[in-house]
Amino acid sequence: MKFMGYRRPDGRVGVRNYLAIIPSVFCANKTVERIAAQVPGAIALKHPVGCSQVGLDLELTARTLCAMGCHPNVGAVLIVGLGCERFNPQELYDAVKANGKPVEMLLIQKEGGTTNTIRRGAELAKKLMEYVQAQQRVECDVSELMIATKCGGTDATSGLAANPAVGNMADRIVAEGGSAILSECNELLGTEDMLARRAVSPEVAQKVYDAIYEIEDLLQSSLDTDLAGNRNELISPGNFAGGVSSVVEKALGGVHKSGTSPIVDVLQYATAPEKGKHGLFLMDYESHDGEVVTGMIGCGAQIVAFTTGRGNPTGHPLAPVLKVTGNYKTYAGMKENFDFDASGIISAGDTVEDKGKELLDLVLRVANGELTVAEQIGGDELFCIARRHGYHKRDVEQLRARHSCPAD
Amino acid sequence: MLRKSMMIHPQDSVAMVLEDSKKGDVIRTPRGEITLLEDVEFAHKVLVTPLKKGEPVIKYQEEIGYMLVDAPAGTWIHNHNMGCDRGKV
Repeated sequence: MKFMGYRRPDGRVGVRNYLAIIPSVFCANKTVERIAAQVPGAIALKHPVGCSQVGLDLELTARTLCAMGCHPNVGAVLIVGLGCERFNPQELYDAVKANGKPVEMLLIQKEGGTTNTIRRGAELAKKLMEYVQAQQRVECDVSELMIATKCGGTDATSGLAANPAVGNMADRIVAEGGSAILSECNELLGTEDMLARRAVSPEVAQKVYDAIYEIEDLLQSSLDTDLAGNRNELISPGNFAGGVSSVVEKALGGVHKSGTSPIVDVLQYATAPEKGKHGLFLMDYESHDGEVVTGMIGCGAQIVAFTTGRGNPTGHPLAPVLKVTGNYKTYAGMKENFDFDASGIISAGDTVEDKGKELLDLVLRVANGELTVAEQIGGDELFCIARRHGYHKRDVEQLRARHSCPAD
Repeated sequence: MLRKSMMIHPQDSVAMVLEDSKKGDVIRTPRGEITLLEDVEFAHKVLVTPLKKGEPVIKYQEEIGYMLVDAPAGTWIHNHNMGCDRGKV
């Protein structure tokens, strides 16, 4: 199975061809935004981090920004730093350079302020854009695609229609030699045994358990019973209103979007799989829509399949996000925000197999360049960098000892 | 009146109602006809079998929580009468 994509110097394949303008620190956000406004087709990857961070929190920022710069949907990169930030922009420059792409860097403190940086940045960006526009789509194999899966605004229809349709599509991609990612481990509580049974080895099964146990520990450490009850809910008011009554019920529906393929490995946040490894992956992270989608894109996903029963308008600046619902009322109520209606599985006797195949056809059209509704609207809310502060990772033996279901 | 519904597995203890439904409406399930004891919204769950306080609520053939009260078949099941301790302190 083939599609037309952009072959990058590192061998990976993109489905979009962007000039990414990346601030190394939030202080450069407005400068980046104003440079991008002068260069049609450039995207500004604004974010709120890059300084006053330590440890894993700063590592996640560095890893994510490098992964965005090196992402196959990006043709070239302009970095704008301030000059004194903790995330050294040179680290990002070196990563993109080693990835083989054209890259330029400016520091606001060195350029003599905002105006000079914008002027110089626009010149550099226009030059980089000439390179980007010269890239041509070439025939690529579906085995080079990686699909991120995500639910946001879940209701009780998600687990019956939208997630099974996405899971069937993911199975078809994996059967063609491609890859898919499941994550949101805090919303997989209660499914760890079935996921571990799908692992390709006892080692991967143990990684599945460890990922879910650690997220559960993180959740428990974050709750504060001194605060009002609604500060400590594990699922959203919309989930409850849509008929989902517990985090485990949400998990048992959510897990369907991973299909039935074996789990070949557990990936860290925004970290590519080992070279040559394909199939279904679990990414070890939680379910904030933007953070988890950005992390899976950081793992190399070029397209996101996003299910929602309540309706959701968001998109990501680097990757097309396909919106899928299983709720006929939501689809009718906000049609402009959906790419795919899977509700017939519940209400019209459609089969999961037929909807999965239709969804695969749509994924391939999007891979070829067809814009998703979120891209048409200009949705870019899902670019968010993971944060981890204040949580002290527990010893893994200690985590396992608190549960009764070890892998082996 | 008869309302559309579905059970994911015949051994589950809940069915999903597939239309906004009223108290007194009926759903037909693999466990027999169930009369709704209260209004139930689209995609929400009702018990198809009586459960006692503390007993597990089964959907997708798995435990999604446990009963906080005794309840007869036809009861709307949600976070007011079903608990779940995963992820909590």
